[in-house]
Amino acid sequence: MSLNCIIVEDLQVAADYLNRCCEKSGQLSVKGHFAGVSDALAFLNNNVVDLIFLDVEMPGATGFDLLDQIAYSPKVILTTSKPEYAFDAFEYNVTDFLKKPFTYQRFLDALKKLPPAAAEVSENTITETGVDHIFIKSDGKLIRLNNEDILYIESMGDYVKFVTGEKKYITHNTIKNLEEKVSKQSFIKVHRSYIINIDKISNIRENGLFISGKEIPISKAHKQEVLKRLNII
Amino acid sequence: MGNETLPKQFIFNEKMDKEALYSLYTDDFAYIEEIFATTLQHFDGDFSNVQLAYENANIEDLRKAVHKIKPTFGYAGLLETQSFCKNFEDKCAAAGSIAELSDAYTHIKNVLLEAKDIIENEYNRLKAFNANPL
Repeated sequence: MSLNCIIVEDLQVAADYLNRCCEKSGQLSVKGHFAGVSDALAFLNNNVVDLIFLDVEMPGATGFDLLDQIAYSPKVILTTSKPEYAFDAFEYNVTDFLKKPFTYQRFLDALKKLPPAAAEVSENTITETGVDHIFIKSDGKLIRLNNEDILYIESMGDYVKFVTGEKKYITHNTIKNLEEKVSKQSFIKVHRSYIINIDKISNIRENGLFISGKEIPISKAHKQEVLKRLNII
Repeated sequence: MGNETLPKQFIFNEKMDKEALYSLYTDDFAYIEEIFATTLQHFDGDFSNVQLAYENANIEDLRKAVHKIKPTFGYAGLLETQSFCKNFEDKCAAAGSIAELSDAYTHIKNVLLEAKDIIENEYNRLKAFNANPL
């Protein structure tokens, strides 16, 4: 099974070497290389990866800053030339620490430390649905989300993002599956990539609606159903 | 007679650690050429950052710039250069003013420029070697 990964590394030669190791291993699919934290964050806000190869010292922000800001917890292998970061690496529970430059064999040893199901967060990410809440599995925990706190649910390929006013939670699931499981009183599918909390709509335009400042598209196929559910006078 | 089937070997500059290079790339000389090319493409930019930080008397930026360029030399087998960079980083961390780093800076600047020359020279030799490996 191939794991999706990204490389966050500001030294080109190190990124190229790592990319080559990934290709050679046949176990990893590199989805991108980013030379800084902000570009990596922008990518991770819209894409889910299983593993990040992360340099620590980069211009503007450190690799640890990135780990503080992402909404979920992919596996992380630190790549740095400074062993002094080992203690921080331990604090962040990273899988391994590769000191640059490392050999291909050392790289393979790091991969062996990944848990076998690193990519499989869980097939069954919703463990319980109630009238007013759901439980989701995220970051290895069961988290209760009250319906009233969920603004909308967004598709991210094989994953979905639950957006509340406070936080974002990413779990392994699909919009299609969730459509059947969430409360039909509170939620409605408005687009193939979105289920929204109907009570959170602030306004609607021709082809979209707004929830907490975010514009969400309404597809033609769902528009009539959405309008029916609204209390229009 | 017995040597006819042996692949031709490239003899690296004596300052390059051959074992380190082989541990990273085995005898994939085309790949080593690629690594040297990438290193040279980015060297001037990274070196400018070192110079700029020193000219601005910004010790932390200077340390970061040397920290960034440091692994480059590990990938090129220049382990001594990498070690000089590490020592310079430590000096930056301990320095109270840029003036304290004056001698060390002159030294590291020369070390970096010498390393670039070595890599450039080896890159050109390797390119010729790879173009005619037999």
